[in-house]
Amino acid sequence: MRHALILLGVLIAGMGLSVEAGLLGPLGEQVGHLSATLSIFMVGALLLSLALVFAPKRQLGALFKQPRWLLTGGILGPVYVIVLTLATPLVGVGMTMVGILCGQVAASVAIDHFGWLGSEQRKVDGYRIGALAMILAALWLM
Amino acid sequence: MLLPLIFILLLVGGAVLAAQSSINGRLGAKAGVIESSWLTFVIGAVLTFLLMFFFEPAQQATLFSVPKWQLTGALFGVVYMLAIVFAVPRVGTAAATVAVISGQLLMSLLIDHFGWLSNAVRPLDASRYIAMALLIGAIGLIYLSHQQRHRRMVNQPS
Repeated sequence: MRHALILLGVLIAGMGLSVEAGLLGPLGEQVGHLSATLSIFMVGALLLSLALVFAPKRQLGALFKQPRWLLTGGILGPVYVIVLTLATPLVGVGMTMVGILCGQVAASVAIDHFGWLGSEQRKVDGYRIGALAMILAALWLM
Repeated sequence: MLLPLIFILLLVGGAVLAAQSSINGRLGAKAGVIESSWLTFVIGAVLTFLLMFFFEPAQQATLFSVPKWQLTGALFGVVYMLAIVFAVPRVGTAAATVAVISGQLLMSLLIDHFGWLSNAVRPLDASRYIAMALLIGAIGLIYLSHQQRHRRMVNQPS
C-alpha cells in the first residue's frame, strides 16, 4: 500500500516535470537554453537552501563524508541538457524524446537488474518486460 | 552517418538521467532527502552558470525581462527531485522511472488536449486514449512486480 502511494507521488511529480518542460521550451527560445536551464537550477538551489535552513534536522556534513562518485548527480543534469540542446534542432523534439525515454527506461531496468551504482538488486521479470512494452507502445501511439 | 550517432547520444542522455536518479537516491538514503536534492541543484547551478557565461550567444531577452510566470518551472523541478530522492531507495530505479515517465506523458497528453501553457490544442483521439491506458497499465505492472518480489521474499527468506 505504501509502495502504491510512493508510486502515485512520483507519478504526480512526473506530471509536474511536463509542466516544467512546457515552460522551459518557450523560455529557452527567448533567453537561450543555457540561461533557461540556469534559472531552474538556480531557483531550485535557492529554494532548497531555504528549506535546509528551516529543516528540523540537517546533516550537510554527511554529504561530504560519502564517496566522491555519489556526489556526481548534479553533474549529470547539465549533461542531459546539453544532449537535448544539441539533438533537438537536428532530429526534432519527437525523435529526441523517444531516444531519451528509451535510454532512460532501459538504463533504469539494467541498474536494478544488475544492482549497479550500489542499488539493491531487482531482477527483470515478466511484469517489468510487460511494463517496458506498454511504454514503448504508448510512445508509438502518441 | 550523423543520425545513428545522434540516436546513441540520446540513449546516453536518457541513461544519464536514470543514473542520476539512482545516484541521488543512494545519496539521499545516506545523507538525507533535502541535503541530497540541495547538492544536486547547487552543482547543477554552478555548472550551468559557467556554461552560460562562456558559451551562450547573446539574446535580446534576459531572465530578468521575461514575464515572471515563465520562471516558475523550478518549483516543479524541486518537487520532482525530492520525490525521486525519496522514492528510489524504497521502490527501485526502474519503478520510479516508469512512474515519472508515465506522469510526464499523461500530463503532456492533457496539456495538448486543453492547450495549456499557450500550446496549440491537440484533442485526445482514440490512439491517445489507448496510449493513456497503456501508461497506467505500465505502472500497474511495475507495482505487481514489486508485490511478487515481496511475496517471494516473505516465502523463502534467503
